[in-house]
Amino acid sequence: MLLRHIKINWPIYAWYFVILIGLMITVIPFWWALSSSFKDNVTIFAEVSPFSFKSLIPGTSLDPYYGIFMKGFGRAMLNTLFVSVASVLGGLLINSMAGFAFAQFRFKGDNILFGFMILSFAVPADAIAIPLFKMMRQIGWFDTYYALIIPMLANGIIIFLFRQFFIGIPKELMEAARVDGLSWFGIYWKICIPLSKPVILGAGLLLFVFQWESFLWPLIAAPSPDKHLIQVVLARFSTEYAPIWNQQFAASTIAGLFPLIFIYIFQKQFVSALTGVEQK
Amino acid sequence: MSTNFFRRQWIVPYLFLAPALIATVAFKLYPIFIGLWESFIYTSFGGGVEKRVFVWLENYQYLFADPLFWQSLKITGILTILINPIQISLSLGLALLLMRKSKYIRIIRSLFLLPVGVALPIATVVWGLMLDPYQGLVNGFIGLFGIPPQPFLVSEDQALWSIIVIATWKGVAFWMLFLLAGLEDIPKQLYEASKIDGAKPFQNFRFITLPLLKRSILFVLVADTATNFVLMVPMIILTKGGPMQSTNVLVYEAYRSGFYYQDWGRSLSITTLLTLISLIIIGFQLFFLGEKRDEKK
Repeated sequence: MLLRHIKINWPIYAWYFVILIGLMITVIPFWWALSSSFKDNVTIFAEVSPFSFKSLIPGTSLDPYYGIFMKGFGRAMLNTLFVSVASVLGGLLINSMAGFAFAQFRFKGDNILFGFMILSFAVPADAIAIPLFKMMRQIGWFDTYYALIIPMLANGIIIFLFRQFFIGIPKELMEAARVDGLSWFGIYWKICIPLSKPVILGAGLLLFVFQWESFLWPLIAAPSPDKHLIQVVLARFSTEYAPIWNQQFAASTIAGLFPLIFIYIFQKQFVSALTGVEQK
Repeated sequence: MSTNFFRRQWIVPYLFLAPALIATVAFKLYPIFIGLWESFIYTSFGGGVEKRVFVWLENYQYLFADPLFWQSLKITGILTILINPIQISLSLGLALLLMRKSKYIRIIRSLFLLPVGVALPIATVVWGLMLDPYQGLVNGFIGLFGIPPQPFLVSEDQALWSIIVIATWKGVAFWMLFLLAGLEDIPKQLYEASKIDGAKPFQNFRFITLPLLKRSILFVLVADTATNFVLMVPMIILTKGGPMQSTNVLVYEAYRSGFYYQDWGRSLSITTLLTLISLIIIGFQLFFLGEKRDEKK
């Protein structure tokens, strides 16, 4: 860290106190969900009112997990996994190609097109979800996997990440390959892509998390239960099975832990990709 | 060189660009126009038959004459004014806290990152149960201090605040990441120099940190505002815009008009207005980012 030497003159215990409060607020909701996902509902309610610290000690029952898989959670997980992996592969391909075009070539309208593509992703997706839904009905993609995957592929952040990375690859390498008769696609596929493992990892992780966490779009674009994604099923549990808290907690735990594991393993790459700043 | 070679050279970048460009035009730009077009159309379902009539601005006229629209614009305004300063000041505060040297800083930072990986629907469901008036953890906890149970999401006065809490829990760590990256970009020599000059910590913050962090803060301000402007997951899952319309923001009103009442003309008029406001926010973003890029060159 760079600012290690700055002295903030409040005592260290005050700092720890504030950090501790912040950490409690940050961690306890998820921890409570995790702990309660292994308990029966009577126990959960009894431990909360009147409040006992037992409510933060994990239980041992697996029934809530059994319960959610009886209610179609497994199907939703497989759907989400399929849709996420397809989005990662497709998204990496088309966005890295676009990034390659912007990094390697000067062509008519390049700046305008680049600005257009980056800015069009600043329009909040939720603002155009309803007209996009109308469009899916018009072209017959409504309630299909196409609707869940294809509109989500192109992504300005990912294009930007690849462009930044490809700009850094020495031009001589490509010129030499050109002279040797390699096609532009060959240069992209055989030289640039193998070099860009770090950005592929970060960008792929972002695409995966975006898709795993998407909710509004899958909710309206694919309403049949056999195409439900994980967040949609979770929301359905919370309204249809409102009194069954432990199963809502179990669904939240699985839906939450899955991306968290990846994010924590590749924390550096994830944060770099997200903020566009290289992590030290 | 053959002409063929030149032709191929000319077209190569466009070929690489084509898939992403077509997808952007088709799924980002075109829907905006569909929204605009459909906002001029009135759809009726007389006798089970869908009838579409082009009505020009009538949908907008009805909308502007509807007190519910103004109510929901007001709620959107209140939410915007409350949630963005809260989230940004908390993010900045947290980022500054996490710049401090400590043996455990790595693990502390990682723990604070947790909400970044927890999707908003999950946060909403879990916090919905946390804030349950009867069996919620929050009421159980404040009961220890003798505070009576609060209604939270089922109360007209507290529902919007409860949603602010949920979105802030999810959002602070995310925006903090950008500010933290900005803070780490500030050259440490500046602080060394000011130390020699005998500057106080607050002066450091006021004259070094804040000016150099200005762009990161502006970016977060605009991006956070755009994000919260379309915040509706907690409304869909928990409040349905209630109680008594107290959480019925514009974007939720658009959703409800379409998917509950099949009033697509109304829904898409609101959507078009929302897109327009978003574009204005993006205009600001363009302005600030443009400034940032010039700086780097």
